[in-house]
Amino acid sequence: MPSFQLNYGLPSQIVLGVCLLLSLWGCAQKPLPPQTAALPLSPIEIKGTAAEWRAINRLTYGPSPALLADLRSNGQPKNWALSQLDAARKASLEAPKLPPDLASISDPLPTIFDGARKEREARAAVPAGTRINEFVVNEKRFHFQEEPEPLFYNRTQVNKAIAWRLASCSNDDVEQPLLARMTEFWFNHFNIYQQKGSVRPFAGHYAIHVARAHALGKFEDLVLASAKHPAMLYYLDQWLSVSPQSARAGQSGRGLNENYARELMELHTLGVQGGYTQEDVRELARIFTGWTVSPRSDSGFQFVMRLHESGNKTLMGQSIPSSAELIGMREGEQAIRFLANHPSTAQRVSRRLAEYFVADSPPQDLIDLMAKTFLASGGDIYQVMKVMLNHQAFWSPENKLYRTPYDFACASLRVLNVSQDRVKWLQAFGYAAVAGHAIQNWQTPDGYAFNANTWLTPEALTRRIDFALNISRNAPERSDLYPYLSDNTKKAVMNQAPQQRMGFVLGSSELVFK
Amino acid sequence: MRLNRRQAIFQTLRMGAFSLPAISALANAPSNSGRMVLVFLRGAYDGLSMLVPHADARYAQIRPNIAIPKPDGTHKTALVLDDIFGLHPACAALLPLWQQGVLAAIPCAGSPDSSRSHFDAQYHWETGKPGFSSPSSGWLNVLSGVVGNGIGLHALGVGESSPRILSGPAPVQLVGNGLSATRPGTLADAKTREAVLQLYAGNEKMASAMLEGANSRMSTATMLKAPNMASSNELLVANNGAGAPQGLALDAKHLATLMQQNRQLRIGFLSSGGWDTHINQGNSTGLLANNLSNLSNTLIQLRSVFNEPNDVVVVASEFGRTCAENGTRGTDHGHGNVMWLLGNRVQGGKWHGRWDGLAQNQLNEGRDIPVHHDFRAVFAQALVANLELPKTAVSEVFPGYKWDNRLDGLFKI
Repeated sequence: MPSFQLNYGLPSQIVLGVCLLLSLWGCAQKPLPPQTAALPLSPIEIKGTAAEWRAINRLTYGPSPALLADLRSNGQPKNWALSQLDAARKASLEAPKLPPDLASISDPLPTIFDGARKEREARAAVPAGTRINEFVVNEKRFHFQEEPEPLFYNRTQVNKAIAWRLASCSNDDVEQPLLARMTEFWFNHFNIYQQKGSVRPFAGHYAIHVARAHALGKFEDLVLASAKHPAMLYYLDQWLSVSPQSARAGQSGRGLNENYARELMELHTLGVQGGYTQEDVRELARIFTGWTVSPRSDSGFQFVMRLHESGNKTLMGQSIPSSAELIGMREGEQAIRFLANHPSTAQRVSRRLAEYFVADSPPQDLIDLMAKTFLASGGDIYQVMKVMLNHQAFWSPENKLYRTPYDFACASLRVLNVSQDRVKWLQAFGYAAVAGHAIQNWQTPDGYAFNANTWLTPEALTRRIDFALNISRNAPERSDLYPYLSDNTKKAVMNQAPQQRMGFVLGSSELVFK
Repeated sequence: MRLNRRQAIFQTLRMGAFSLPAISALANAPSNSGRMVLVFLRGAYDGLSMLVPHADARYAQIRPNIAIPKPDGTHKTALVLDDIFGLHPACAALLPLWQQGVLAAIPCAGSPDSSRSHFDAQYHWETGKPGFSSPSSGWLNVLSGVVGNGIGLHALGVGESSPRILSGPAPVQLVGNGLSATRPGTLADAKTREAVLQLYAGNEKMASAMLEGANSRMSTATMLKAPNMASSNELLVANNGAGAPQGLALDAKHLATLMQQNRQLRIGFLSSGGWDTHINQGNSTGLLANNLSNLSNTLIQLRSVFNEPNDVVVVASEFGRTCAENGTRGTDHGHGNVMWLLGNRVQGGKWHGRWDGLAQNQLNEGRDIPVHHDFRAVFAQALVANLELPKTAVSEVFPGYKWDNRLDGLFKI
């Protein structure tokens, strides 16, 4: 029910005019290429080993034996890619197949709040001067057989959340492989820091019920889910932000906090050049006053009218009236819908998806096409992804991507087919941490970078090679991968003793890039 | 020319000429040329808690819960620096340096760009081009090229895997955080190195990156061996890709050791996160006090090595925080901030530049410390005084910056 008139400031005629002007300017700047070159390029043939390799390494974390066999028997990489997208959307609407010992990360929110409260109480009951052992022995990091002591509830939840990320990125029986990638993308886009005190027990729930559940749905639903989740409410301090005039503020010195409002516009939606001002940050913070956590409700969220700042607000030229009809929480929801469907958001989200799946600097025509679909479909992420997979740019060999450390860690588990081996998980976890990409552990709301500029550095490459050689020691060979390796790589691999070969396969350009 | 240089480097690397005897021969090279170390506090530290304007009545008024109390001689209140400013008590270790005249502050420094985005502002600080978001090299990388006339390795970063400020065409040495820096890795074995080189045959970029990394790690590990091994809880450090303030001291120790061993390294970079104190930042004690105490220890450690006539250590952050406390006993994103300089050439024991107090009409948009001095102008003074760059060369590092002669007393020339 669109009760809120979306108006992005420029009448459509003006936008058209500007586009026309821009395109004329573009022509003036850049003369048309000679006739021959102006003919449409012959479409890239989306077939064969190169296209297969691209599809499986970009849409999943890499070639597990079964998935590679499935792709090869399909014979049509693009159809296979589109079928992965459909399967991912379907899976996102169903509950994840959590390994039983990780299930507590998806407990009802009141149960999680309760666990955190019991840890607080247990810690308060520890006699002063007693040292609590905060150190997790590595061998036990991913062993969750026993019920955790109340003292260690939060950190156990964090380790389970990390374990889920490793299980879901590496094991196709646990998670649809493209959905695992989409979950990483959205978690990172709406990043939270799992080591921030009160956020800790909620990180896994956030990954599953925000990033995963809305991964291929409407973008505005994703933003709303993130905005109302305890992990985000705690992480960007929104839960404490109240109207300076409210009674609570008078008692405890509480008041407005701009943190969430700013990052919502800067990072989650519009982007820093998206057209907002400091005044808008302030107004948006006022709009969100009263949005806070609720330890006893299933959603974990509540809107508290008496903490909300009354009065009219203006956001980017939009008047957001405080009226009987539009009280309280609706203001925030409307603001989110407005921001989520803004043209600047469409550009930003499309660009980031293309950077993640296509190239560090993706072609603008691809981004524009995705953004157009984003706006036309009301922010339907599935449709936007479909445009991307149907575009030449996705399949063009010129568009290279370098694996991030986390990506590489997951790829290793898949290539070695060891997705159930928790000792190998430890190695993967340790590598990602030492390479500067600790799983789900980026402190600031911008999330991890995912370009080669950040990750392809000499020091980092040596850590990657260390890890590849160590984790692969004595691994059985995978001859099904050999058709995808260059002659030079194959030669270098074959020069090794058989028990060393998989390390060199993993360290090869074919797998270090994707 | 560039291609030849790459090829030459590649050959050198392959032959292992980056090896230890060669490096240690550099250790006792003449050291008249100064060194600069930048400690960058990511997240915008609250300068008004470190350099406390205790004489300004408005300070306590607008910070009812988080103001550092007026000096009363105890270690729970600000430590007097002069009639206007005091030092956070958690920074007590720095007071002797102020009294010796080697530590100075610039209260109203920052970027002329008004962005309150951490990420934009950091980008501007790191490229040295406020207001521009197009791809650009980091200014410490450019500086490294200027210092060495385009030849050789002169810059070192410890902690982050790839900080923007050091990225660019000039070679730089990057060292991992914590104890990971002390391990040479599988590529220390010559046979493995040769086999991986074969694996990357035909991909010169990968091959030379691999060799560069391997050589750098071997020499780093050798230099850092033994003396530093026992000092910290590795997990604490490893858990934190972004580098926590408490990890900063160990990174500083590694940086100092490496720069002492290789005197060609004249530019150092360290950073820490955890400064974005939107809630419950505390006052004399608490979250921010702990961070400031770690920072002070780091600076003391750096001072014990970087104390030659032309050495300078600079502390800075991407912007400041609101002068007034926010609704959650913290502070939000502001504009100007305090920069610190530490070194023998610094006109220390005093603060520099303009300061007009906290009256609302003196503040940026009525809420933040104003920027009276462009951060590039502060660095420009350091580049000339300590690294002995001609003023003309400074504009290669900071295109379009203006010399700020109100800061001319910053260093003893």
